[in-house]
Amino acid sequence: MTENTHDADVAFVKALAELLRENDLTELSVTRDYGENNALSVTVSRHQPAAVSVPSPAPAALPAPQAGHAPAPAPSPANGSAPATSADPADHPGAVTSPMVGTVYLQPEPGASAFVKVGDTVDEGDTLLIVEAMKTMNQIPAPRAGKITRIVVADGDAVEYGAPLMIIE
Amino acid sequence: MSTDPRTEGWPAGTGRVILDEVDSTLDEAARRAPELTAPCWILAHVQTAARGRRGRSWAMPRGNFAATMVLPDPAPARHAALRSFVMALALYDTCVAVTGRHDAFTLKWPNDVLLNGGKLAGILLENPGGRLSIGVGVNLVEAPGGDEVEAGALRPVALASETGALVLPEEFLDTLAVTYAGWEARFVAEGFAPIRDAWLSQAARLGETLTAKLPREEITGVFETLDSDGQLILRTPQGQRAIAAGDIFFG
Repeated sequence: MTENTHDADVAFVKALAELLRENDLTELSVTRDYGENNALSVTVSRHQPAAVSVPSPAPAALPAPQAGHAPAPAPSPANGSAPATSADPADHPGAVTSPMVGTVYLQPEPGASAFVKVGDTVDEGDTLLIVEAMKTMNQIPAPRAGKITRIVVADGDAVEYGAPLMIIE
Repeated sequence: MSTDPRTEGWPAGTGRVILDEVDSTLDEAARRAPELTAPCWILAHVQTAARGRRGRSWAMPRGNFAATMVLPDPAPARHAALRSFVMALALYDTCVAVTGRHDAFTLKWPNDVLLNGGKLAGILLENPGGRLSIGVGVNLVEAPGGDEVEAGALRPVALASETGALVLPEEFLDTLAVTYAGWEARFVAEGFAPIRDAWLSQAARLGETLTAKLPREEITGVFETLDSDGQLILRTPQGQRAIAAGDIFFG
């Protein structure tokens, strides 16, 4: 990686951190593919106070690696089962991930109401949102029936392959 | 209405539906899709509710070309978007074939066909899962006025006024169906690499500075290439950026 790329990466992470603060999110995970075997995976999380972590570049073929989660509050060891609140939505068993790189639209078209909202119950195959890539409007279907408990992305967000979009439980 | 392809040279096994008037050929494709088992072209002479990207209107006077190609069984979702370039190449070849002009047409990322630097045609794809619909609009006889497009957008042009070629929509379709079938077969057999190379060889403004407008930001950089997913690669002072969706403006 060149010096230039490094600077760009730093700027990118800073922009993510800002997005996190502005939208009052607790965590944001992004993978950027620059080309063959050249990708950057970043998870920025905010746990009083805001913290930023940057893993080193990862091969593009790997799924988003777990970036070092910065100062996470120590979970109570009382419950032996899987942590009830994983910081990374991609880890959530109900996560619906993006099958492609693109731009997210939560409405069928501007001004229309959203396909779904938090609290909605969906059937398998119901459209959750659109990911646009190369002027192709890809309707992303619910992979299973359930209740939308979280919408991870915002309208107009750029998403990478495998990025968590929504949680259905 | 005709659903029986009798046109000489029409690709075998591909349906051909001609309608006088419809709301939009993309909507008609959605309605007919459940009963389609083979690729099918749906052409309408008039669209009463034609649409472009993200709710933009698309002017559609009689004489212009509006058709949607439905692929009932497309490649995996991740590859659906590459058909953007497959159709762009077919449209480019069709424009060259019907006008005999080899030097007048170029391609703008991802799938606009330009004529003398103005916008002649647009393509919009819908992938609702289980099928892919590729909507194609071409200003054969009439282009919208400059005041009907967004500021900074390319001047709309019509084939007739720019080249003198008067082509009927159905004639245009007969050539487009053949060129599309050829590029589609190539895509299925050889993958995206030859499509990408052919697209790049006709690309407008390669090596020049472009601006991509995304919902959250504007990215200005030198148009370097397409990547293997069809993303536009811009070289910016902050490094290389890959763009999957956005409006492109020439600097």
